[in-house]
Amino acid sequence: MEPLLNFFLIDDSSFDLFIYEKLLIKSGITHSVKTFNSARDALKHLTTQGDGLPETIILLDLQMPDMNGFEFIDEFDHLPEPLRQKVRIFMLSSTIDTRDIEKAKASPHIIDLLPKPLEIPFLKKKLGL
Amino acid sequence: MSEKAITILYIDDEEHNLHSFKASFRKQYDITITSSVVEAEQMLEEKDFCIILADQRMPVMTGVQFFEKIRIDYPKPIRILITGHTDIGAAIDAINKGEVFRFIDKPWDYKYVENAISNAYDIYKTREDLKQRNIELQKANEELDKFVYSASHDLRAPLMSVLGIVNLALLEDDVKSQNEYLELIRQSVKKLDTFIINIIDYYKNARGVPVVTDISFEELVTEVQATIQYLPEYGNLKMTTDIQQDGIFNSDVMKLRIIFNNLINNAIKFQDKSKADPFVHLTVKSTPSEAKIIVADNGTGIKESDQDKIFKMFYRAGATNSGSGIGLYIVHEAISKLGGEISVTSKIGEGSIFEINIPSINK
Repeated sequence: MEPLLNFFLIDDSSFDLFIYEKLLIKSGITHSVKTFNSARDALKHLTTQGDGLPETIILLDLQMPDMNGFEFIDEFDHLPEPLRQKVRIFMLSSTIDTRDIEKAKASPHIIDLLPKPLEIPFLKKKLGL
Repeated sequence: MSEKAITILYIDDEEHNLHSFKASFRKQYDITITSSVVEAEQMLEEKDFCIILADQRMPVMTGVQFFEKIRIDYPKPIRILITGHTDIGAAIDAINKGEVFRFIDKPWDYKYVENAISNAYDIYKTREDLKQRNIELQKANEELDKFVYSASHDLRAPLMSVLGIVNLALLEDDVKSQNEYLELIRQSVKKLDTFIINIIDYYKNARGVPVVTDISFEELVTEVQATIQYLPEYGNLKMTTDIQQDGIFNSDVMKLRIIFNNLINNAIKFQDKSKADPFVHLTVKSTPSEAKIIVADNGTGIKESDQDKIFKMFYRAGATNSGSGIGLYIVHEAISKLGGEISVTSKIGEGSIFEINIPSINK
């Protein structure tokens, strides 16, 4: 039996949160999607969860006010190792700026940059499903 | 001659040279004279000079030595050396060490000196203009950079949202949720359209030729109100106005419209829906010399740490679908083009007050 995946969506656009939450659930890949419209809130949630955090996949938007995707990654870097081990991060963005793409590729915490709109088959492939 | 007088500093140890120079040219130029190189340095610190004339043979130091000394700290003024006898060694030093622009032979001839000053000023002016152009170009390039960067987000993001919704709708058989998706597409398209209109406004504002006309604030406000009050997001907001216009006020109506439109739209967008009586109050007090505009609301307010950043391009203070971060930037640009000022006072949960002062443009 396939283990059910646990997803976090971080995006300042309530539109995109709505769309991708529905899409993930409809695709059958998960039953559990948690949405955050601020990266800071998501970070707070991660730290308070601590050891209780299940294995989680984060789809992280890039351009957000207050704390953007890369700033979130900088903070994530300071989290305790066991917590980080439970999390896999994909950046999900409509950016076509090569500097962003290079930066995402260079980051050890970002598995890959997925272009918006999210394609489920593509995500499945990246997850090895 | 240009509006601003050409400033000249003349250093010579022989007092009567100084005075005859000043007597000959004081009507044309703004002249400062001194017989001491020490005093001359102090003067350079206090005042901006376009041109420095110095006698070569002076006690303490020669004209060339003086130029060599001040050249690094005061590179802007054009240097002219006045010399009694032509000494080839001094001439070589003057060019190589003092980087002088001209030699003037003593006794000097009025026409010759006038010509030298005029040529020197041309160079001074060209260099200053070039510097100014460079600053403007740098700003334009930075804006373009930011624009390209943000375009990928602000132009593509709503489109990608639409595509995402379409993908989702294709998985759905239920007609009712299809309609829900269409509504989302509509909102997303409208957001994109607003952004494009803003960009066009910005370029009209930045590149367009200003058209100065007699302004009626009453008419302008009525016109702006008419375009916004049927917006679905207008809600329960109550808009009140208090317009007092005494005499004729001249300005660019296009820019004023941009200012009113954006500020009132923001008051609508950021109204505090939890309050029973959301309002925006617009006050205009205009005299023939200036206009004071105040837009006050009891909306969500702006964080103190964001208040100095909200006028920057693409800075968004709020999360959610608040906007693209270009509205207040356009307002700021329009106001500075009109020679005015804007300030904001705001408190989270209480509201914001934008205060604008704009001078009347005299034709």
